[in-house]
Amino acid sequence: MLRPPSRRLPVVATTAAALVALLAGCSGAASAEVVDRGPVRGGTLVYATDREPTCLDPHNSGDMPQTYVARQYLDSLVSLQADGSVVPWLATSWTISDDGTQYDFTLKEGVEFHDGTPLDAQAVVDNFTQILDPATQSSTDLLYLTGYFESATALSEHVVRIDLSRPYSPLLAALSQAFFGIESPTAMARGLEENCESPVGTGPFEVVAWNHGRDVQLVRNDDYDSAPADAKHQGPAYLDGITWRFLKDNTTRYGALGSGEADVIFNVPPESQQLAEADPAISLQEFVHSGSPFSLDLNTTSPVFDDIRVRKAFVHASNARAAVESAYAGVFPYEGDAVSSGTPHYDETYHEPFPYDPDEANRLLDDAGWTGRDADGHRTKDGVTLTVRLPYNADGAETPPADLTILQNIQAMEKEVGIEVDLEALDSASMNAVWGDPDAYDLIGNYWNSPTPHVMYIKYSKATLDVGNGQNSAFASDDELDRVLIAGTATTDPTEQAALYSEAQRILTSKAWSLPLYPIQTRLGISNRVKDVWIEPSEGEPVLSDAYFVDGGDR
Amino acid sequence: MNPWALRIARRVAESVVLLLAVGTIVFFLEHAVPGDPAVAILGGAAAHPTPEAVAAVTAQYGFDRPLLAQYGSFLLGLVRLDFGESYTLKQSVVSVIGGQLGSTLALTATALGLAWLLSITSTLLTAGRRGLLGRIGSVVETVAAGLPQFWLGLVLLLVFAVRLGWFPVIGTGLPGLVLPALTLAIPLAGFLGQVTRDEFEDAQDQPFALSARARGLSEAAVRARHLLRHAALPGITLSGWGLGSLISGAVVVEVVFARQGVGQVLVTAVNAQDLPLVIGITFVVALVYVVANVLTDVAYVAVDPRLRTTIGAPA
Repeated sequence: MLRPPSRRLPVVATTAAALVALLAGCSGAASAEVVDRGPVRGGTLVYATDREPTCLDPHNSGDMPQTYVARQYLDSLVSLQADGSVVPWLATSWTISDDGTQYDFTLKEGVEFHDGTPLDAQAVVDNFTQILDPATQSSTDLLYLTGYFESATALSEHVVRIDLSRPYSPLLAALSQAFFGIESPTAMARGLEENCESPVGTGPFEVVAWNHGRDVQLVRNDDYDSAPADAKHQGPAYLDGITWRFLKDNTTRYGALGSGEADVIFNVPPESQQLAEADPAISLQEFVHSGSPFSLDLNTTSPVFDDIRVRKAFVHASNARAAVESAYAGVFPYEGDAVSSGTPHYDETYHEPFPYDPDEANRLLDDAGWTGRDADGHRTKDGVTLTVRLPYNADGAETPPADLTILQNIQAMEKEVGIEVDLEALDSASMNAVWGDPDAYDLIGNYWNSPTPHVMYIKYSKATLDVGNGQNSAFASDDELDRVLIAGTATTDPTEQAALYSEAQRILTSKAWSLPLYPIQTRLGISNRVKDVWIEPSEGEPVLSDAYFVDGGDR
Repeated sequence: MNPWALRIARRVAESVVLLLAVGTIVFFLEHAVPGDPAVAILGGAAAHPTPEAVAAVTAQYGFDRPLLAQYGSFLLGLVRLDFGESYTLKQSVVSVIGGQLGSTLALTATALGLAWLLSITSTLLTAGRRGLLGRIGSVVETVAAGLPQFWLGLVLLLVFAVRLGWFPVIGTGLPGLVLPALTLAIPLAGFLGQVTRDEFEDAQDQPFALSARARGLSEAAVRARHLLRHAALPGITLSGWGLGSLISGAVVVEVVFARQGVGQVLVTAVNAQDLPLVIGITFVVALVYVVANVLTDVAYVAVDPRLRTTIGAPA
């Protein structure tokens, strides 16, 4: 859920884009002909991605780069389908008590971790113990479990029971994320430091080495026989291994794909999108993440934005669609809802509740008493200028130039109605200080990838506000919204859920707590030599266990 | 005491003071940065750690101790050359640097060598020549000196790796070293070339050049053996500085060419407030700089025999 996986875009900016365009004719024009005779074994796939995790164990922290690589060496209890249902994985079956507070998972038998430790019920219990241990420093996993999780117990060798303090219908979807991948208890017992370097799972590949700053080396688990039910094949992977390469620079990453040095790249740079589409040697796969889109959250405790009229005026005054579409050249879609369109129970009725309307913005601001004007034409009230502070990370990898363009466009649009937007460029350390400090900002960019509509609760509830970790970046909550969302977790009836989550979206969007911009995406560029790469829907994790080289992987 | 030993002892003492000063400055600068290092350790603000986790980490690393107490333990660590453990990489700083330094040194050393090769070639071929050739050399050097490394790296990458496929985009080993080293070498070569050219042109009318020609030495021999030797001196002095600039340039090149190296790690460490790592790398870079300056002195003596009799003598 955390930090942008696909948001970090044109680090290289215009010069590079121009150069790429200049050289457009060159890449991959030849030898695009490949004959697919079905799966063959062999070859080490080079997967190039932009961001390197700080720890490979996804129970620690909870940042997107961890989940993408973890998918390759960890199995989860269940696997999520695009329609929101789940299918067996390490758990072959499960029963849920009538009151929705007790989950009994029956585990697949005969599965071993890469270090030889058997997968049993106690191993799963140990995983929950590690996640909940403060020493693990979990943030993502913890927020899914906090307030609901009571205990995990081994009922027998292969049956594990999870007791909840209250019903929690998103549990299975949450557990399907690689963030909840099941790790070897023997490996976890070595302590976080070692487990970060060389985590051990039951997955199709095992981690051999992590060369910091360069790559993670993974090799096939020859004994693999626990693929999820929705995999394209059962049994060991076709690839001999994966080189999980870190290529931060957009031009380099795309160049590596074009020159055949990388077989799959994550986050095809938006400026290279057209090239990639025109290149017969490359195919593209895209997945729009569900959850909360990249948005500007409005700090409701700020003396300006505590007035809903000013918040509505701010959203009305910005032509967010135009800003996103121009900055991202149409590669990223505009997303106007508080939850992304791929989120289960997404209701498009609440798309763009406060559309671009400067007249309405002006009317609302007049209403709110911001009727004066200063020398620069900004509105004032009682001699105070209507200024809002928008701090952002000055690191081009964290705030890509296209994002900055969006912010500047919005700044210009707000000026039209007399709102002064102060863009504050901060280094990462200073941004750390801003998060969670209600006095440090009026607006801040944020997002949360999640396979469940419960993301609305995680981001905007009183409970999250109380945790005080800055994730409720609007510092907002609403009793009625909380009640509806808790009711949503208490039922598994799809009709009832649809009604409740629709109501939640109605309440949430009426509050003008955020200005949604675009959904996070997983965007893969894949060489035509490689077949059967797919993207699973819980967190947009790439799945490489079914992938194979049509030519057997010879370079 | 033999003057050479004295000189080296003085150098070492100066270096220790310099390194201590560098460590102290970095220590206090990092503490002046807003933001909680405990939050940074927990994955940064975007990871939204719980207050309980922040408290646990604060206690574990002693961030709640008075600043002077933290400085005290920091100094103790320095004396033992123990930089501690990186907050973010959860590895000892020494092993992180050990794993990255070789790559950066190979890059900067190759770049320095290439820069000299390019500037000497350019000087010998074009310096002091009247007419078009001399002017072309001078213009090329000026342009080269002004090229931004980031831009140059991308151009070389797109032309020679992506389009022509002569070099790997992300390769390691010798072929993978060529383009990154050229990226750093070309601007430095332009700069060295300018300095060398000026000196070269001044020298060619000096009495020693005239007497060499009078002795019947060919023009090429005069240029290569007498004038170049003279003209190289200011360039050698600047090479110590050049190495420093190469290390900072390595940051950019390591990102563009996706090379391992301390440059990339340093940028990440500064952003993540990874104090032990920042100090460790700063230290090692300072150390390389000091060593480079000593080597510059040695090279200077080797090129200019007149200094052999005077260097190291008490002033």
